[in-house]
Amino acid sequence: MLLTLIRQEVLSHLMSARFFAAVIMTLLLIVANTVVLIDEYERRLADYNGQETAHRQKVEEAQTYSALELFVERPPNPLSLFSTGLEKQLGSTVEIYYSLVPLISSASARYLTNPFLNLFLKIDLVFIFQVVLSLLALLFAYDAISGEREAGTLRLVISHPVPRGSLLVGKYLSAMVCLLLPVFLSILSVLILLSIASSVQLRPDDFLRIGGIVLTTIVYLSVFYLMGLLISTISQRAATSLMLCMFLWVVLVLVYPTWSRFTLNPVGDTRAEKLSVEEQVNQIWEEVEREKRRFVANSPLMGKPPWFNLTGSGRVAWGDRRYKIDLKLDAQSEELVPHVQEYHRTLSALEIRLAEKTALIREQSLASTDIRQARWDELLMKLSPASLYTFATTAWVGTDLDGMFDFARATQRYHQSLIDYFHDKEAFASRLWFAADKGSVDWLDLPRFHFEREDVWVNTQRALPELFVLLFMNLVLFMVTVLVFIKTEV
Amino acid sequence: MMVWHILKRELFDHINSLRFALTTFVMIVLMVTNAIVHLQKHADRIQEYSKNVPASINNLKSQTRLYTLAQKGPGELYKRPSSLAFIADGGDIFLPKLVANDDSWRAADVESIATLGYPETKQKSKNLRPPAIPLDWAFIITYLLSFIPILFTFDALSGEREYGTLRLCLANPISRSVIVVGKFLGTLIALVLPFTFASLLNITILSTSPWIQFDTTDWARLALVFLIVCCYICIFIAVGLMVSARLESRMSLMVLLLIWVTVVVFMPLTLGTLAAKWTAPIQTVQQFRATKKEFIDNIRAENTRQWVGMKQQIDPEVELKDEILLPILRFKMEWVNFDRDTRENLNRAYLMAQMKQVQQARNVCRLSPAATVQYALESIAATGLTRHLQFVENVRLYMKQFRQFIVETDRTDAESPHLIGIPEGMSKKPIATENIPKFEDQLNFRDSFTSALVDMLLLVLFAGVFLSGACLFFLRAEV
Repeated sequence: MLLTLIRQEVLSHLMSARFFAAVIMTLLLIVANTVVLIDEYERRLADYNGQETAHRQKVEEAQTYSALELFVERPPNPLSLFSTGLEKQLGSTVEIYYSLVPLISSASARYLTNPFLNLFLKIDLVFIFQVVLSLLALLFAYDAISGEREAGTLRLVISHPVPRGSLLVGKYLSAMVCLLLPVFLSILSVLILLSIASSVQLRPDDFLRIGGIVLTTIVYLSVFYLMGLLISTISQRAATSLMLCMFLWVVLVLVYPTWSRFTLNPVGDTRAEKLSVEEQVNQIWEEVEREKRRFVANSPLMGKPPWFNLTGSGRVAWGDRRYKIDLKLDAQSEELVPHVQEYHRTLSALEIRLAEKTALIREQSLASTDIRQARWDELLMKLSPASLYTFATTAWVGTDLDGMFDFARATQRYHQSLIDYFHDKEAFASRLWFAADKGSVDWLDLPRFHFEREDVWVNTQRALPELFVLLFMNLVLFMVTVLVFIKTEV
Repeated sequence: MMVWHILKRELFDHINSLRFALTTFVMIVLMVTNAIVHLQKHADRIQEYSKNVPASINNLKSQTRLYTLAQKGPGELYKRPSSLAFIADGGDIFLPKLVANDDSWRAADVESIATLGYPETKQKSKNLRPPAIPLDWAFIITYLLSFIPILFTFDALSGEREYGTLRLCLANPISRSVIVVGKFLGTLIALVLPFTFASLLNITILSTSPWIQFDTTDWARLALVFLIVCCYICIFIAVGLMVSARLESRMSLMVLLLIWVTVVVFMPLTLGTLAAKWTAPIQTVQQFRATKKEFIDNIRAENTRQWVGMKQQIDPEVELKDEILLPILRFKMEWVNFDRDTRENLNRAYLMAQMKQVQQARNVCRLSPAATVQYALESIAATGLTRHLQFVENVRLYMKQFRQFIVETDRTDAESPHLIGIPEGMSKKPIATENIPKFEDQLNFRDSFTSALVDMLLLVLFAGVFLSGACLFFLRAEV
């Protein structure tokens, strides 16, 4: 009996013009956007490669250790075309400097093409599912019960020996089958387009991620279908049910995610806190100045670093907490060289210590300001299944906040390995730190930065909470619908 | 008057309906939120602006010599924030807030003079919050005031046909277009009411703030916004009636929703990117900087060659006389001015190329009324791209005035050799700092209006076409 029900429902959905139109439109949108997004990804990839070469060249140009200008780049995520997340919003270039611990906020963004084109917001593929298919799910559901009730067919069906529960199950399953069709067709066309564009290199486990996205999509659509079904069961007329469904959709998909961050976020203005942290950091760094004065007072060196009372020529870039020196010393300065070496050794040890200290303070402040705000945003937005879906997919893809933290941690590890490299080479205490007049640094064994996205299992763990919440929503909605349906008069 | 009867009946039907209540509720919540968000944001913007502008004016006043004034220029010139930014945010974070001097350089004997440059926007790369669309009026209008008209009209004609009341209605001596127009007007009023109410609430909340004062032009702008909104609602009511005239209710809803999703949600987002992809590619910022540097280096090398040649002819033993000195000074002056003009032209050409690409993409997007209304609202609210262009134009006019001032001040000094751009060639008298023209960015109503005019006409055209389409469809429909 159940099977007959499902077959009949599926057929009536599949034959309907609304289904046909929705599928065609989804496919059109998916294909058009995939073409745009692949093109954009290619551009970002080319930029990444160009940037990498430029960074490597910069390293080669450095003659002394201190003149090293080291930048690392976050590679574009090929799956970001499914769900962009923070991928493009956050900067991708990070400077690695021995007295500067990189944090998640220290990545800087560059503009490569026309910056004004950012006025056109770009959409990802998941957004299309989120908007179009949830609408379709509600359109399948709004008259599933109320429509039949109005038409009188519901009485007819119930007069057969069918339990009311299985009637609902039949309707649910058949609608889900019909909703899955556009999802699978879309994913298939995306995969075909991806394989045509050879630039997008997917790893084997990326297919698992795509599978995860499909799974999340199914669960998400089912939430919307069940919401529609519940409304349809409660309301007496199909017209009322339709209005409720449509407004629910607008609120959950379009209005609430935008609205919640502006009204509900409890963190508020954090500028004062950030300013005070900057002050704290500045105070800590003053110790470097004191140490400099103390050192100069107790040594034959005079004047200001980096020249002191040395003579000669060279290039000096001396900034706030950052310097690059490449000196060519005269013969009469030779005797001062050991002192200068000692100076840089002492100072750099202090700077590294202070850098760790300040990084800790900065990290804490970030955690209590920006990150707290972002987490609250996420939490509040997750009250809407549409946002739950977005966050789950960014978690699968690795473009969520956690994915960005992965990169930040990788840069921190690389920063540590740079310091280790300097220690191995005894760079801080060497003449090569500041002067390249007797041979320059060979950068061959400088550790290379390489960022790999986390394993798919890590992403699964991150996506699971959202997935479970969505599943839980499904369960509750289904139970309530069944209960209400059993108790209603037909 | 039959239209009046139909209109009244439609209006009362709508006002008593569930959808009207829901619409009013959603509109009020969104508009109140918008007001609260804007109060905070606007206060920040005004404070930032009123901190920056005196700083650059003081900087200007501290210049006492005419040459340093010409060499340093007016410094950073800031864009005045619009008090109507709550209507349309206009991609505020993607647009630069100021125009500043281009890089200056110093060669052996000469130094560059103030050159107008257009710094790129520094994108907020540290924003960890999930991406979101700004909650301005434009958002509320483009999405909700297109979606809700569809919900109000999808069954306007088809529903009556299905219930049989349409036949009854047509049995009376009423022309069909009167029915369409009556329904159209009734729905329009039913939709404009909640919007008006919510927006008045919004404006009331906003006007409690000390930071926001609406002047007469602001009220004129608001009135225009109101007209634009009416026009935009008309488009979707007309489309709704048109579809509902031919199809049965369920089908009509489906078709309308698909149209809505495509036109309102996806076309403004996808079309722009697609169009930008197919416009002629322009240089990236890095490439532009590289070509500019190369170009200028060539000119400088050429000039240095000439300069060295000139220097060799001078005998250091002989005391320099005016007839030898003057050509040298003139040469330096020409060099400095040529460098400035070249760089300014290059900068401007690049900015215009960028703008042109965006404008072309926007023209394609105008196919969608949602994008058109967005652009119209931006222009009227004096935010966004067109406003940025106006600001750049204001700066250019000001720079002309500024340079004129330098030339004229120099002319009043008889001792000066009148060679603008080099220290030896300009008046050494202290200047009256209060006479230096100061830049104050103005929001010009006429500029806003002219830039919005095309979009407004387009909206009227859309509305007209669809309304006559609705009448036509209904005339030919079987009842």
